[in-house]
Amino acid sequence: MSWFDKFTEKSLRRVAQSSSRRGFLRGIGAVLVGSAASAPLLPVARADNHSASAPKEEGDPTQCEYWRYCATDGFLCTCCGGTYNSCPPGTEMSPITWIGTCQNPTDGRNYIISYNDCCGKGPCGACLCIRDEGDRPIYRSDKTNDYNWCLGTQSAVYHCSVARVVGLAVE
Amino acid sequence: MFRFCSGLILCLLATAGFAQDRTHFNYILYCQGCHTADGVGAENAVPRLKDQVGYFLQVEGGREYLVQVPGSATSALNDKDLTAVLNWMVQEFAGESLSSNARPYTEKEVAMLRKTPLKELVKHREALVLSIASELKKVIK
Repeated sequence: MSWFDKFTEKSLRRVAQSSSRRGFLRGIGAVLVGSAASAPLLPVARADNHSASAPKEEGDPTQCEYWRYCATDGFLCTCCGGTYNSCPPGTEMSPITWIGTCQNPTDGRNYIISYNDCCGKGPCGACLCIRDEGDRPIYRSDKTNDYNWCLGTQSAVYHCSVARVVGLAVE
Repeated sequence: MFRFCSGLILCLLATAGFAQDRTHFNYILYCQGCHTADGVGAENAVPRLKDQVGYFLQVEGGREYLVQVPGSATSALNDKDLTAVLNWMVQEFAGESLSSNARPYTEKEVAMLRKTPLKELVKHREALVLSIASELKKVIK
């Protein structure tokens, strides 16, 4: 038997004589509980995570003054059966959109907002919101909100607009 | 490995830190609205970049086209930022459509090409697509 084998056997026997399986389990349990207390990984903590996709925000998203709508030109989907992230039932979100940035007053950071139109039903007619911050003339086609962005959808009929956060602006 | 990123160190430099964030941010703000986050565009509305944009760099006139297309040439981005975004788009979206001897755009090249934006776009693109189909035997949308 090599010296390494003897050394290993001796060490393991010493550990076995001075410890118990219950003690081992107790130790593992203490480590797990301790980790959970010091570095929580539960969904509750994640929901509080300050990420670009879920910024902390305050206010009433059915009001035009809400921070995400700084460059909106249309009906707010939050008043039409949808949310600021999703279209109302029976409509289709346009994959083609116009994109700008708005400052979130809650954390003072600028977020990239995608103003996708929801298409396929007649105009919603509720909560008309025209703020147009950063809007450019129509010859700057990627930065104008004056035309119908129902492009790439089955129907070109405009219903309402969402305001999705798609990232954090680089200053 | 294609020359857009011919060595590991160059790859790390190109993708590290602030510059990459700024370039991606510029893509989101100035291109993504039409070309979409994953580069697939929209059928019958916006051409697809994903897995296809690299073919344009393999046919005569295609390299110029990607700069002279109005969305590039008349973009609000300055020459340096536009060059970075174009190279980022090719790297990000070309996939297997990129040939091994492709080379990145230079700022000087982009500055010169964008002075003459295309005025007749559809026919120009159709001709390039036909070239890609006949020379490379690839069908693109």
